[in-house]
Amino acid sequence: MTAGLGALYRRRLAVALNNPIAITGQLLLPVLWVLVVGPALARAFGRFSHVDYFTYIAIGQIVFIIPFSAMFAGLVVIQDRNFGILRELLVAPIRRSMIPVANIATVLTIAMGQLALIVALSLIRGAHLHVAAGRLALGLMAAALLSIATYALAELLAYRITQPQIFGTLIPAIGATPYALCGAIYPLATLPAGVRQFAYALPWTHAVAVLRYGLMGGPASGLHAIWHLHSNAEMALLSLGVLAAFAALTVGSALRAFERATVA
Amino acid sequence: MDPVVVRALTKTYPSGVEAVRGISFDVRSGEVFGLLGPNGAGKTTTLGVLTTLVKPSGGTAMVGGHSVVADPLAARGSIGVVFQDSVLDNEFSGEANLRLHARLWRVPDADARIAALLEAVGLAERASDSVRTYSGGMRRRLEIARALLGRPSVLFLDEPTLGLDPIMRQELWHTVSMLREREQVTVLLSTHYLEEAQNVCDRVAIIDQGKIIALGTPAQLIDRVGREMLELRVEGDPNELLGALRELGPTVGEPLLAAATVSLASSDSPEELSTRVTSLEPSRLGVRTMTVRPTTLSDVFLILTSHGTGREAAVAGASS
Repeated sequence: MTAGLGALYRRRLAVALNNPIAITGQLLLPVLWVLVVGPALARAFGRFSHVDYFTYIAIGQIVFIIPFSAMFAGLVVIQDRNFGILRELLVAPIRRSMIPVANIATVLTIAMGQLALIVALSLIRGAHLHVAAGRLALGLMAAALLSIATYALAELLAYRITQPQIFGTLIPAIGATPYALCGAIYPLATLPAGVRQFAYALPWTHAVAVLRYGLMGGPASGLHAIWHLHSNAEMALLSLGVLAAFAALTVGSALRAFERATVA
Repeated sequence: MDPVVVRALTKTYPSGVEAVRGISFDVRSGEVFGLLGPNGAGKTTTLGVLTTLVKPSGGTAMVGGHSVVADPLAARGSIGVVFQDSVLDNEFSGEANLRLHARLWRVPDADARIAALLEAVGLAERASDSVRTYSGGMRRRLEIARALLGRPSVLFLDEPTLGLDPIMRQELWHTVSMLREREQVTVLLSTHYLEEAQNVCDRVAIIDQGKIIALGTPAQLIDRVGREMLELRVEGDPNELLGALRELGPTVGEPLLAAATVSLASSDSPEELSTRVTSLEPSRLGVRTMTVRPTTLSDVFLILTSHGTGREAAVAGASS
């Protein structure tokens, strides 16, 4: 059933790791935020807030790097198709659905590595994380689901868009725009009411709220702003449900697009 | 059962284009079988169906004893494919490309198999180099080695020598021939280079407009149109000459006009043909030079794909 998954996963991981410039380039901005911009903003504005602002935006960087990297990884799909590698994989004696599944697994692996790097750098730079096993698991699940969903979205688009330069314009649009609206760097309560309601519907918003609950603990204000319930765990699970639904929708759509794009 | 069996195969794309219109053929074990045809004839679609990249609209296609529709996984397990365009992971070395393929095909004893095939295609010393540094011929040889890794029963070669210089083409066919013997593999290829097909293929099928219009050994196909080829270089209006040539009788085929050259195939001997044409007083008809030479597969191809007539005769015995 899953024959070939390991080989495809290793190949895709090797393609990614063979391109250290791309990985470094994607990490540059969040690392800059965690090491330089975050502490500077915390010094400038932290005194107006009761929360640890540096830790707040350090975790917010996770919902930048994961979708951005996922969108960027969609370019490999276009490259594989345009250079014929996909055809070579399609004539292998494996279930073809293993190709996008292996791609998703690879991007998820890289996302978890990036998350670990951001958390490690944040701790070095003085972030205060309050981790408990259950909450941490919820946070990791939120990051994983966001990674799966956004990469599946990238893969879906990559099967419809043949030109990498057009796909390239979508990388910042999808990879970075929701990040600016999801409460990663400021509380959503400061937004106008209409925009705020839109922001609450974004899966990115749910991801950052669960990540903060998972890694910072405390009052889970992000989750409260969305759900207005009493139980933090219950709200976190609801937000995970939103992320899971988003992931199911994009993965299902990507698999259908893959099938349509690969069999004449 | 023959390694490739195709019966009444059809393919109509959603756009309405009928790419393949009821073709049937078998490829026998161990033979090199060529699919020839002009652009858009249906060769690539046929190879696409046989390699499970294209879903047929009707008919059946069996590869390695497996239906490409009912059991595509098993069908893919019995094939190796070399695509028209070079398809290599440029990020990796030659050996790494083979290793990935070996994992996907679950090749037992992969290290030894990779080493043996790299040696066989003359790339052992460049195995660890990035394939970016390979020449076109080296890339092709590596792709052939890769296609053979899984010990396929059928090797598909889609225009394998396209874009290669004549020396590389010769080397490649030598490699294919040597590996075919060594690996005991059946080869199904498509090519535009008809002189190569004549030299390499045991049998060929000529496809035109989605149908097989001729099938047999190159010698059989040449016999069907005539072993001798007459070429007349003309000046002025060739219509009178064409009319006179058509009166020469049933041993002479339909004359073809290309630029200022009229050519026709004949089953007459070279001497008979020369005598009969000379009797027409060719210089009076604008003929400046006359040549008689053996008919080639290229001539057969041109005759069969240029004419609406004569196809039925050539197809006769196609299932043999």
